[in-house]
Amino acid sequence: MSETSIWIMIIGVSLVSILPRILPVALFSRYEFPKPLKRWLSFVAPAVLGALTALSVLAPDGDINISIHNRYIWAFIPTLLVAIKTRSLFYSLLVGILTMALLYNFV
Amino acid sequence: MQKQELKQGINDSIPIILGYLPLGLAFGVLANEVGMSIIQATMMSTLCFTGAGQYIAIGVMQAGGAVFTIILANVLVNLRYFLFSTSLVPYLKGRVPTVIGTFLSYGLTDETYAVAMNRYQDHAPTASYMAGLNLSSHIGWITSTLLGAILGSFIGNTERLGLGFALPAMYICLLVFMIKRNSDVFVALSSALFCLLIGYLVPSTMENLFNIIIATIIAASLGVLISERD
Repeated sequence: MSETSIWIMIIGVSLVSILPRILPVALFSRYEFPKPLKRWLSFVAPAVLGALTALSVLAPDGDINISIHNRYIWAFIPTLLVAIKTRSLFYSLLVGILTMALLYNFV
Repeated sequence: MQKQELKQGINDSIPIILGYLPLGLAFGVLANEVGMSIIQATMMSTLCFTGAGQYIAIGVMQAGGAVFTIILANVLVNLRYFLFSTSLVPYLKGRVPTVIGTFLSYGLTDETYAVAMNRYQDHAPTASYMAGLNLSSHIGWITSTLLGAILGSFIGNTERLGLGFALPAMYICLLVFMIKRNSDVFVALSSALFCLLIGYLVPSTMENLFNIIIATIIAASLGVLISERD
């Protein structure tokens, strides 16, 4: 890819990545959403997090990998327990990263 | 500008930056390998801030694909943020001035969304908090890209340090925090299930992440249906 093509690509990608992020805030902020829509939107965050968690743990390299060889599944278990028990992002992250490092280096 | 809020936002971005570090480094290294200069790689992370989309760009470039293909794939990959951003509107309305909110939404990612939504459950949003969280996460992304592009193959395997689990661990924890109602558990689980099922049936959605959009729409609708009964 030529120098110019790369710059065109960067500008094109930046436009299509910025617009869906900023347009809703720019356009919809002046309206009051109807109650049913607000209710529906209140489920978007749990749904998004459910999907992201599933993908990041069960398809860490982009392909679905549900097997005992998937380290992410093993690291998921202590991390979830610590998250529920301590409700601390710091400790969850610490335990998750440590577990992963141990699994990677010693298993 | 509220100093305390800004500080809180910066604080909350630390786990995000930790997770971005290996991803940004790797992007910098790969961008260099497919022929992007250090400036181009860093500018891409500055102007785009779309991890998955940037990795797709590398993949297409490696395969000798066209600019148009990269942009089209990025339309799909980034469409989910329309949904994320819309769900933030009821929170920001009346609390963060629209112009500032619009500008700062540029820094919306899966991670900043998850952290911000979690915060807004019991704290009113402020422009300062948004600025602290989004801008410092973005600076983390830019810096790690720059480092990757400069250091290139000198960087060893970051997987060894377990940093690959930083973002998954964050999602897990924020999911636990986010669950308040019984219906939330149901929504999260069904979304996870639909997301994988769609990804399994239509493998291309695993790349453009369209499975997240479809699963979210289905699961949120199911959530409305089942919670109507309580």
